[in-house]
Amino acid sequence: MLHTLDAFSSALVAGLIAALMVPVNLLPDSISDAFQYAFMQRALLTSMMVGAICGMLSCYVVLKRWSLLGDAISHAVLPGVAIAYLLGLPFFIGAFVTGALTSLGIGAIERHTRIKSDAAMGIMFTGAFALGIVLISKIASSTHLMHILFGNVLGVQQSALLLTLAASVVALLVVWLAFRPLMLYAFDPTQAQALGFNTGVIHYGLILLLTLTIVASLETVGIILVVAMLITPGATAHLLTDRFKTMLFISVGVGVGSAVLGLWLSFAFDVASGGTIVLVATGCFFMALLFSPKHGVLMRLWRHRQVGAS
Amino acid sequence: MDTSLAMHTAAIEVKGLYAAYQRQPVLEDIHLSLPAGRWTAIVGPNGAGKSTLFHVLTGSMKPLRGQVDAFGKAIEHHRKAGSIAYMAQREAIEWDFPISVWETVMSARYGHMRQDAWWRRLLPARWHEQRHYHAVEKALDDVNMMAFADRPIGALSGGKKKRVLLARALAQEASILLLDEPLAGVDPPSEQLILDVLKREREAGRTIVMVTHDMPGARRYVDHVVLINRFIRGEGAPDEMLSDSKLAELAVSSIEQSAYEVSVAGSPALATK
Repeated sequence: MLHTLDAFSSALVAGLIAALMVPVNLLPDSISDAFQYAFMQRALLTSMMVGAICGMLSCYVVLKRWSLLGDAISHAVLPGVAIAYLLGLPFFIGAFVTGALTSLGIGAIERHTRIKSDAAMGIMFTGAFALGIVLISKIASSTHLMHILFGNVLGVQQSALLLTLAASVVALLVVWLAFRPLMLYAFDPTQAQALGFNTGVIHYGLILLLTLTIVASLETVGIILVVAMLITPGATAHLLTDRFKTMLFISVGVGVGSAVLGLWLSFAFDVASGGTIVLVATGCFFMALLFSPKHGVLMRLWRHRQVGAS
Repeated sequence: MDTSLAMHTAAIEVKGLYAAYQRQPVLEDIHLSLPAGRWTAIVGPNGAGKSTLFHVLTGSMKPLRGQVDAFGKAIEHHRKAGSIAYMAQREAIEWDFPISVWETVMSARYGHMRQDAWWRRLLPARWHEQRHYHAVEKALDDVNMMAFADRPIGALSGGKKKRVLLARALAQEASILLLDEPLAGVDPPSEQLILDVLKREREAGRTIVMVTHDMPGARRYVDHVVLINRFIRGEGAPDEMLSDSKLAELAVSSIEQSAYEVSVAGSPALATK
């Protein structure tokens, strides 16, 4: 049973990579050469999936003003990785548990005490992060810590790739099936409540989805940089459109595009891949900030001048 | 007026309601019976708990104690059935959200869409059932906003924003309309349009409950008035409730209450010094 599952997943990954290589091989050799190595092919597939789900979730993060929450969950994942290692469990189980526990803890502090949410988040995530660093310093080398913090997409193993694939499928299905309640909750939670939707389930469901995305991105961009992938694509898309669905597509596009371009640049210039991917996304954001036809800085200046002149 | 009939058919019945924010009481011992098919105005000073009452009715706030029924059943049941529409204040809406006027009004139908065939829910908007389209179209026509259907909501003026929020409440085709200051900060033409729409909705048999500060408008249009300031301060016909003496009493109650709040808020601090 386990054996067939293993064989099936290997075949699935091989198939996906083969499909991915078809368009890549159409590119000029100077570009596609980088992707002839098996580790680069795995890295490409993983980082594209990470870019896609982070891009999708980042729309909700940006519109719900959850940037700091994303930051908090991603840091809170660290002690989970260490504890899972100590207990001999797969790392993503520990990461998911501590990430989810921290977000619930933040909500509880916020609701039941006079501490405001930003302070609650700051306390919880730095505390969890510190615990993670202390634990890891005891059990693993500093290179290992660096990989968790900043990602190691070039060394992605089959198991991590499959985890990312499973998380992507789950996230995509949830957003598709619950598209309307999720959008309504992001737009106007009071209205969602008045229409009889269970906003508690939507709220915590979205937080769990965020945690899942962060855990799935751990090996690609790392804990520190995943926050960028959960904010920048959504913020870029928000500058470019006034439609939620279009925003989702643009944001996914920015996420995937930065992943591909960033990966290639990091290979070509032999620099850290997680950081390069984030830098490309940041570049997209500043381009949108300057040149967006409706909400860009240049267009605004132009309109001001026209108003002044007339 | 046939008040006997109104007493038998209460659209909303509130019994012994208490609500508080962070242990600060906002509503105490509220008993209300709002007549079905009538237009009720809820009047009170700022901070009197009017919006809180609406938050309890829409379910976004849990009361400490008390029972809220609609048409003789627990109000949650009616929320799930989509029979309670809520028009929020303009400040409560995220106007930067990337959404068009049409889609905003359509969002009022999301509750009803739960009754549609399951496969429709997985498909894009153009596969929605026709009745949802008709409801949105009619609501936008009613508030004279069909021409703006494709605009992003953030690009609208203040009065038009209010009209979109009203259209959203109308598109739900609910039997109870809860309106939180529908006339605050609107231009005179929009104000008249909103009042005319509400008058027609009441004639069509809907129950309207609105929070308002507009006394002349309330005197002219509504059938029933509730005076509120933490406690119910009066309930009855507009002529009686909106008389100068009654309103003066309500104003005095608000001064007394703020004096009380100062003494409550001040005492622990003094005690620790």
